[in-house]
Amino acid sequence: MRKSAWVVTLALVSAVAIDGTIAAQQTQGVNPTGAAVLAFKERVAEYVKVHKKADAQVPSLTETKDPAKISQREKALGDAIRQLRAGARPGDVFLEEVRPVLVKVIRDDFAQRSATDRKALIQELPPSVKLVVNMTYPTSLPLATVPAKLLRELPDLPPELEYRIVGRHLLLRDVKGNIVVDFVRDLVPTIPS
Amino acid sequence: MSTQSLDVLSRARSLILAWALLTAFSPAPLGGPQAGVAPPQAASARTANGTGEAQPPKAKDSLRFAVIGDSGTGGRAQYEVGARMTGALDVFPYEFVLMLGDNIYGSERPQDFVVKFEKPYQGILARKIPFYASLGNHDDPNQRYYEPFNMSGKRFYAFEKKGVKFFALDSNYMDKDQQDWLARELSASRERWKIAFFHHPLYSSGERHGSEVDLRAIVEPLFVKHRVSAVFAGHEHFYERLKPQNGIYYFTSGAAAKLRAGNIRVGPLTEKGFDTDFSFMLIEIDGERMHFQSLSRRGRLVDSGTIAPEAVNTTSQPGGPRP
Repeated sequence: MRKSAWVVTLALVSAVAIDGTIAAQQTQGVNPTGAAVLAFKERVAEYVKVHKKADAQVPSLTETKDPAKISQREKALGDAIRQLRAGARPGDVFLEEVRPVLVKVIRDDFAQRSATDRKALIQELPPSVKLVVNMTYPTSLPLATVPAKLLRELPDLPPELEYRIVGRHLLLRDVKGNIVVDFVRDLVPTIPS
Repeated sequence: MSTQSLDVLSRARSLILAWALLTAFSPAPLGGPQAGVAPPQAASARTANGTGEAQPPKAKDSLRFAVIGDSGTGGRAQYEVGARMTGALDVFPYEFVLMLGDNIYGSERPQDFVVKFEKPYQGILARKIPFYASLGNHDDPNQRYYEPFNMSGKRFYAFEKKGVKFFALDSNYMDKDQQDWLARELSASRERWKIAFFHHPLYSSGERHGSEVDLRAIVEPLFVKHRVSAVFAGHEHFYERLKPQNGIYYFTSGAAAKLRAGNIRVGPLTEKGFDTDFSFMLIEIDGERMHFQSLSRRGRLVDSGTIAPEAVNTTSQPGGPRP
């Protein structure tokens, strides 16, 4: 009995030690940027599930001659999403750990542009508005172009979502529901004076 | 001399002075020499003196279409251009209209689609002439579900007419999906004429926006590789025909309802510019050649010419002018 107890104890200690080694190796081998982007993508995937659930609750949208049906559908989808994620807060998708990644991507992109290009880009951006998660993206605001080179550097998004810039803030916008899913403030550099 | 005579003379003098001042400071006549507008240089193109009108088609069974950009204001200018386009149908019966984005400015309530699209173009729509829209930065992407825009629920799409392939892009959001799609579609296209249309101009002499160098770095290599013949864009609120760039003809036609007067800055890109009135384009492709004409809100022909796909692609200028 004593011998078997020793064997069990030894086995347990060994298992714990091996687990610790593996965990240490895993931590050592993880690229923090990759981990942050992965965590962000997981949140995006969770949001897409919500979007799809909401999408299934409202009549499907096909081409129509009646623009009222398009706006009604957009509103219905937006409302359904709002209801499903009523407690959503800033940072739920744009996680704290992914923000430095986004900051770097955007700052690097702007740094590579000529002063003229930067100025032209910033002039195109719609003025800042008070942002709230789940708000309807104001229809009076243009959807400023997200520079193609910048899009290539930002983490890929599924078709349900897109990046947009308002003022100096980066948004995640639900394309069909026209709602602000999340945002990060003051990511876009100002024009140097 | 009586007081009355002096009074008449004094009035006459005032009128003459006013006329002289107006003549000295008013803009040059349409199509005439204007600040910031380069003279025409392409041998195959001619610039009208501003007194012409829509020209009839050159060939019987050619493909004909109209082009408008930045049209959806619901303002007076849009209605006037719309009326002019309807009138042009009698001379130049076009089969469809390309929309270069900013199709509906501002709010997009159901009534906005009526005021900013259906009414201004009711004469064209009444003749069952379809519109094919691309999205601008002022457009809700859900416009793709509006049937009269013929986007089949897609932000970017392609269609074919009489052996000409058209590629409508969403230049607001050139993500990887769209890039892959464009590469696939262009690669699969066997048509002799390939025409791309979208909102942001890859080349522009506009002071306000200028060339979209970001977008250009991504799509232009595809256009060159797959021999796109012509590209139509809006965004800049004027008309411009650019010197062929890397073998491709670029047109900007973004003044169907908005005008940024005097915004063209002469540069190495400009072949012909028109920034003193609203405008639209009429295009004809007869298999061998593409004939283009740009008309003002008043119906004046401000630019016209002919290009051929082979000619375009053999005048490639890899080191050509860039802004």
